[in-house]
Amino acid sequence: MMHIGQGLVCGEKIRDMVDAGFEFTIFLADWHSMINDKYGGDMAKIKVTGEYFKHCFTALGLTEDKVQYVWASDLAGLPEYWEKVLRVGRSTTTRRLMRALPILGREINQKEAEAATLFYPCMQAADIFQMKLDVACAGIDQRKAHILAREVGEKLGWGKPVSLHTPLVMGLAGIESGEKGSFDEDPKLSQVIGAKMSKSRPESNILIHDGPTEIFQKIKGAYCPPRETKGNPLLDYFRVLVFHGPGRFLLKRDQKYGGDLELESYEQLESLYSSGKVHPQDLKSNMVQFLTDRLQDVRKYFATRPDLLDKMRKLGAG
Amino acid sequence: MDLEERLDLACRGTVEVIQRPELRELLSTKQKPRAYWGFECSGKRETARPD
Repeated sequence: MMHIGQGLVCGEKIRDMVDAGFEFTIFLADWHSMINDKYGGDMAKIKVTGEYFKHCFTALGLTEDKVQYVWASDLAGLPEYWEKVLRVGRSTTTRRLMRALPILGREINQKEAEAATLFYPCMQAADIFQMKLDVACAGIDQRKAHILAREVGEKLGWGKPVSLHTPLVMGLAGIESGEKGSFDEDPKLSQVIGAKMSKSRPESNILIHDGPTEIFQKIKGAYCPPRETKGNPLLDYFRVLVFHGPGRFLLKRDQKYGGDLELESYEQLESLYSSGKVHPQDLKSNMVQFLTDRLQDVRKYFATRPDLLDKMRKLGAG
Repeated sequence: MDLEERLDLACRGTVEVIQRPELRELLSTKQKPRAYWGFECSGKRETARPD
């Protein structure tokens, strides 16, 4: 199901783009999901999930008057789309495509893969040109697809799409507990990708329709050692979710621990935390409140449409 | 909103923009530039494959 990495980080960025004057498309990549073995490649289940995603973004305020929704299957019906896929494939090599497989969550150094996975990066590049996009947005783990699109776009005279990459939200277990595989040539980025929320255990993901009790339980169990600023998911959420834009944050604290603190920046919070002036419990209780408030509208939306989550649970989603 | 404000709004919270000058050029020349975000339709974490 949709976790806060997708819902809040992507959701906020898409809203920024709409406010900055972009015509924005949310692309529901059903064919790509089939290639990447989602639901064992069952298209009917993939479609149900795509519809659910559309509801999630709608609940987050990205309604159809602000963004447009396009399915990969809309493009897949067009011969000129497949011509673009093949022209991208003609402009690159299997070796390059194998190195791009981390965009599917696979490791970088695989010697063998299902043949269909090699179409995936070609399709991702072709999607951008077929939809005549100027800017491609994604998490930083998708940069290889965008670099490919820029290179082949230039070669083929189709233009170079600007690419805009957002941080990946860390799983609740912290960066050290992430998958140990190799997902990028850069070991630091590889570690960030291995620890992202969607790669972590499903029960530890905070979902966008979680209620206050679930949010509390999940945050309570999160990795958050005192004074430790590296690989700390709680600090990561403050950095990425709370301090996404300008503005202050009032950190609520009991009088006996020094009372409320008005924070001006993430850096200020990090420095207070590393010196022990802000305690793990302060981060946790404030994050529970922040997420509970931030996700209130989404909860209401799904509470009035219980069939949406029922359908997803029937698919075995979690 | 002026050009720089729109540019800052588009770039805030990102870890990388390739390339910011290209984005500025785009915002200054195109009335309604087109952007997208693609999502796989996945409901749960997939189990590890045998390969």
